[in-house]
Amino acid sequence: MRRILGIALAVLLLGGVIAVALAGGEETPPTATKTVKGVIGSEKSEYFRDPDVVKALADKGYTVKTETSGSWAMDQLALKEFDFAFPSSSEPAPEIEAAAGVKGAQTTKPFFSPLVVIARANAAKVLADNNLVKVEPGRKWGTLLMGPYLKAAAEDRNWQDLSGSAAHAELNGRLFIKTTDPATSNSGALFLAATSNVANDKTVVSDQAGIDRTAPLMQKLIRVQGALEPSTDDPFRAFISGSGEPLILAYESQVASLLQQKPETGAADNMVVLYPDTTVNSPHTFVPISENAKELGSLLANDPKLRQLAVRHGFRPQNGVPEFTAATASHAAYLNPELTGIRQVSAPTVKILMALAARAKG
Amino acid sequence: MSDGGILGTRTAPVRGRLTAAVALAATLLGASACDAGSPDPAKPTQSKYQEGRLRVLASSELADMEPVLKAAKAATGVGVELTWSGTLDAAEQVASGKADGKYDAIWLSSNDYLRLRPEAAGKLSSETPVMSSPVALGVRADALARLGWKPEEVTWSAVHEAVAAGKLTYGMTDPVRSNSGFSALVSVASGLSGAQAALTDADVKTAQPKLKSFFAGQKLTSGSSGWLATAYAQRGDVDALVNYESVLLSMNRDAKAGLTVIRPRDGVVTAHYPLTLLTSAPAGARESGRALTDYLSGAEAQKAITEKTFRRPVTAGVQPAAGLNADKRRELPFPGTRSVADGLLASYENELRRPSRTVYVLDTSGSMEEQDRIGRLRSALTELTGTGDSGTGQRFRDREEVTLLPFGDKVKEVLTHVVEPGNPGPALDAIRGDVKSLRPEGGTAVYGSLKAAYEHLGQGNADAFTSIVLMTDGQSGDRAKDFDSFYAGLPDARKHTPVFAVLFGDSDRKELTHITELTGGRLFDATDGNGSLDGAFEEIRGYQ
Repeated sequence: MRRILGIALAVLLLGGVIAVALAGGEETPPTATKTVKGVIGSEKSEYFRDPDVVKALADKGYTVKTETSGSWAMDQLALKEFDFAFPSSSEPAPEIEAAAGVKGAQTTKPFFSPLVVIARANAAKVLADNNLVKVEPGRKWGTLLMGPYLKAAAEDRNWQDLSGSAAHAELNGRLFIKTTDPATSNSGALFLAATSNVANDKTVVSDQAGIDRTAPLMQKLIRVQGALEPSTDDPFRAFISGSGEPLILAYESQVASLLQQKPETGAADNMVVLYPDTTVNSPHTFVPISENAKELGSLLANDPKLRQLAVRHGFRPQNGVPEFTAATASHAAYLNPELTGIRQVSAPTVKILMALAARAKG
Repeated sequence: MSDGGILGTRTAPVRGRLTAAVALAATLLGASACDAGSPDPAKPTQSKYQEGRLRVLASSELADMEPVLKAAKAATGVGVELTWSGTLDAAEQVASGKADGKYDAIWLSSNDYLRLRPEAAGKLSSETPVMSSPVALGVRADALARLGWKPEEVTWSAVHEAVAAGKLTYGMTDPVRSNSGFSALVSVASGLSGAQAALTDADVKTAQPKLKSFFAGQKLTSGSSGWLATAYAQRGDVDALVNYESVLLSMNRDAKAGLTVIRPRDGVVTAHYPLTLLTSAPAGARESGRALTDYLSGAEAQKAITEKTFRRPVTAGVQPAAGLNADKRRELPFPGTRSVADGLLASYENELRRPSRTVYVLDTSGSMEEQDRIGRLRSALTELTGTGDSGTGQRFRDREEVTLLPFGDKVKEVLTHVVEPGNPGPALDAIRGDVKSLRPEGGTAVYGSLKAAYEHLGQGNADAFTSIVLMTDGQSGDRAKDFDSFYAGLPDARKHTPVFAVLFGDSDRKELTHITELTGGRLFDATDGNGSLDGAFEEIRGYQ
């Protein structure tokens, strides 16, 4: 009971986490007819602030203002102040609809981005040599083998236990993937969803027994990290700056965006993109709250220009594999457009997942 | 510089013990940044939000961002008003809600500690890391040669061994009051406990003996990194400094410190300086914060940051400044629970660090009766004794020897108490009792009283952080020369006791500046109002 209360309290407290991103800055679109205000997951912030996106929306008669919030905390906001909510996965959508009093609203799923683990090249090599990941020769993307990886985590494996690590001073200490806080942040929550599935004999955790069964391993994934980040932004920037952990959880969109928008920087040279072989691919889900934003979701999903811009920011539009593949063709070594060899699983219910997150942290 | 090492003006009178440590306010744009030696510290800037002017609670080492923030203002129209704060103090202000409406954003070396306070979660939004710098060890050339170290191979264990063998001494800031000291403490505890993952209470316990011998080598402490650098230069007999890589490299550039910067091979704690908006900030401020964040993340600003401050850029495509070694280091995890973090701090404060011997040289001359100065003195001193459940840093430390030396025409009394570990109550009560009985009477014999303080410290435990706090509200009635020649005649080890002087009432700035410069101390200004004496005394705790 106390635990449940703790969770409720945590969610409540996090409900206030909001950020303001005024879409478009000073540019005032000439033909704007409708100003709509939305709360979005932070990884879409750059997309909505892209001047080209602002213009494309203005051309269709929209000025969009956004604030950011952890997707798993949006249902705690004063949602009546917003015209739409746009969490980073579909799982929190029902709670958001209920909280906003729009149950059964016509949601749309304009795009998604799979979770990846970004590794430094030497770390990926060591993991591959120890059969924890698979990378085909010549590629900068590979597959994280969740079974062996979770076994290593369960056994408290350290980097220095892996053969080939000794040559790299930084590959030291417990082997873990730097995630975000699973209680508030979408990527961390979905990572638990996928790992708990593997740990639960490849079935979705759906009851207390499942939680009890998987919690010890979840703790080994989360508690070892110490302080947890609120979003994937900090670990990703740390990685780019050359500090931070050798393995970080991120969205494919962060890498795909970097590759397309800053190909000249060589920032990805020392990077290998690992796709977990078991994952939860959950689409960013547009929840209209007011009449004003009713059409915006399908505009984002279907307008060719907006789809193209979503790809530029690394997202995969619905049924957009050809668009995504074409746009990233020159960086094909880093990406797995068809998501070949990846098992897609469902996430537990929000309630179960949040209970799991609390156990993993506690 | 006529006023020597005076500190910046404190922000609006702050009374709570914790808030009082937010001591320095600087208007970075238009006025000079106000770390050590600022010629004309900004007046209190606590203000209402003004459009285009962001009020930011910040780590003090960000004073070096002044040129970048000037350029940011030119480019975005957004100015920044920085108020310095330590980690714990900032966490307390944000978590308790005291920061609401007072600041629009926080900009600390890290939000990791703050996030351990669940109350803070709803108060932060859009955290954007702006730059990074690991905590490192800067070692003097002669010490490096003596130790025969290859910088790229040194580990925290090797550092510990050198310290334990008496071959290495160093300076470090107070972890309770300074972000760099806190990060250093986590680094060392991780390194010496052999923890493979985030520190636990058990790790801290395991590392206790090693940590204790490690901190025996700490010869300098400070409430801010700026003064630590100054004191280090003045002392000349300390081998190394634990501080941010950026601070150490800046010392090499600006003061030819000649330090070899070592990032221990077994891992570092890196500060990422997330510029973080407060949800309580007005909408306009949050927009300004956005604009500023976007600018600081841009290639031009990132280049300026790394070139001017030696922090590492976090934007793809910007190269780190020359001198920033590209070798990777393991990132040591920051504790994931408050009990571990607070336990580590409490352990440092009360068990691990060398104890303090602190003398308060207190002017209780007749003029202290005016404007209830004596009352303000009593209340400021009483605050330092804390309450029964005072947290870390909120009262005199365990093992601390506290001496009150009230004077008029001459030293009236020498009252010494030692705070007993596990049973601090009696000593704290006794100090409160002595404070209560302070009576204003007689003249102002500053120099003779200072001599008595040095003489007192000359007897007793030499292995302690010794310091003298001088509070006077007037001009000295005796002669500076006598004190100067007395001080000149002291053996070197005893000269290392700094005098921290407090400007109060009608005290003579020139006189006090002379004393602090001579002894390697620092001047604190308590002339602007009711709470400022409390604030000064509280701030000085970081230097004791």
